Amino acid sequence: MLTDPDYMALITTLKMASVTTIILLLIGTPMAWYLAKMKSRAKVFFEAIVALPLVLPPTVLGFYLLIAFSPDSFLGQAWQSLTGEALAFSFSAIVIGSVLYSLPFVVQPLQKAFEQLGDHYLEVAATLGAGSLDRFLNVVFPMTKASFITAACLGFAHTIGEFGVVLMIGGNIPDQTRVLSIAIFDHVEAFDYARAHLLSLSLLIGSVLLLAAIYLLNHRQQIKA
Amino acid sequence: MQLNIQLSAHFDHIDLALNYQGTLQGIVGIFGHSGSGKSTLLRAIAGLSNNVSGSIYYKQQCLFNSKENIFVKAEQRNIALVFQDSRLFPHLSVLQNLQFSRQRSRTKQLNVDEIIALTQLTPLLDKKPAQLSGGEQQRVALARAILAEPQLLLLDEPLSALDQQNKVALLLLLTKVQKYLKIPMLYVSHSLAELQQVADNLLVLAQGKIIDHGNIHHVIHRLNQQQHSPIHQQTSLSLVISKHDKDHGLTALTLSEKHTLYLPLLSAENYPVGSTLRCFIFADDISITIEAPHQSSIVNHLSGRVSAIQPLNQHSMLVTIVCNEQEFFSQISVWSYKKLNLAEKKQVFIQFKASAIRAFANPNNFIEE
Repeated sequence: MLTDPDYMALITTLKMASVTTIILLLIGTPMAWYLAKMKSRAKVFFEAIVALPLVLPPTVLGFYLLIAFSPDSFLGQAWQSLTGEALAFSFSAIVIGSVLYSLPFVVQPLQKAFEQLGDHYLEVAATLGAGSLDRFLNVVFPMTKASFITAACLGFAHTIGEFGVVLMIGGNIPDQTRVLSIAIFDHVEAFDYARAHLLSLSLLIGSVLLLAAIYLLNHRQQIKA
Repeated sequence: MQLNIQLSAHFDHIDLALNYQGTLQGIVGIFGHSGSGKSTLLRAIAGLSNNVSGSIYYKQQCLFNSKENIFVKAEQRNIALVFQDSRLFPHLSVLQNLQFSRQRSRTKQLNVDEIIALTQLTPLLDKKPAQLSGGEQQRVALARAILAEPQLLLLDEPLSALDQQNKVALLLLLTKVQKYLKIPMLYVSHSLAELQQVADNLLVLAQGKIIDHGNIHHVIHRLNQQQHSPIHQQTSLSLVISKHDKDHGLTALTLSEKHTLYLPLLSAENYPVGSTLRCFIFADDISITIEAPHQSSIVNHLSGRVSAIQPLNQHSMLVTIVCNEQEFFSQISVWSYKKLNLAEKKQVFIQFKASAIRAFANPNNFIEE
């Protein structure tokens, strides 16, 4: 079965994707909310920024992050003095990279859901005495739950499939930053096609299953509505 | 309850300049055509629009004052609003919708079961809003708003999505609720007939301004005589029901000790003898004769004196006749006016059919103006 380093890569990948998804939900939700409610012309500009990772080669993002994370940079130094560890080529670095890279996959479905929900139910909730957090938790969240699940699944799946950014800023450190996509690349480089097949096929099947689950969920939600 | 409002706002199609100082008692109607600013006024009172300037005080408490930068948030105003689309939370059952409001009420004095019984929601409690009819949805929305125990209840065209039968039912419920709970209400509508049924006082909005306010019958009668009147000229009445005559299919109303008016039979269940009926008679349904009509199929006739005559349009005149201290309005042609040689203070007789007395609840003779 899986040899030890491949197993470690799987664990690292799952860990990276889980942490990234949680962070994305925490920061993506308010971003999506403000974008959905924004009325100024600047909205288009912010939307473009969020969508950027969809079109930008991952190596471009990785390259700039690598410069930003280097021990000479402001960010790298600040991180070093705060945590006592170098940022470049660390697990934290690939998580930050993944968050940026998967941002649109979480923000866009949420923003769309908030826009479709509109203000009607929020207005009536306010006149019944519900404050803004109350309204979000008890009106918005239950009514857009399906979009939260879609956003989380897309963010998770997309992070698992990431290669370029992780390669640029993570290096290839076992148990730290060596993720499945990089492990496959290594196996291919070493002409170890059997292992490359095993990992590739598992990723393929896992991704299909995850996406099928999302579409099934969306389908059910549409039938309900 | 003292309400002081001074509002101005600029929109694409209208400049709003509303000033009102007065006490709110019972149900106050706000009448105006679409675009007159009435919904904007309600939303400003509820705290849902922030693009207006001016000030709003209710019970001496400042809700909004743009000069002093005071804006009390909607959730802190304790003012509930029933919208024309009921806006029930679709993910919650009827009971959960009611509980949502109850849990956030500051006072929690009302008995929930009593309100559920009053609004006849018991059989619907487990249903989801999507399973309810339009009338049922509005009943839930009303109950939900009441359970917030607001200091003021706003209603924004609450009947406009309902059919006539459901409109009548909800209006009856609304008056019952008002009598029972005594919450002051502001009721916005573009239908005068609707407001005539429930409101004691009326505020009239046109082009973003309050053009009249006061007792509903007085305001309607003043609007009759206005040039380019926004309403269909009519006599608006509150009369006590004295008898239901099932044999002849008529309900009798007391105009004075000696004078009784008749209209097509009403349901004794909804309109018991002794209760007051709101009704109206369109001016073109009242005719004038100089001599007493002794033999006529028309059941209602009264003697009175002409108090005012004014042209309505090129071919017709509006004649005001006072009978037993009650004003009646009759619309006649210029031709008849000349033929009868009418003048102020002249003694005349007016007559109108039973079916000309229109009550909102009477499907036999109700026509929306």
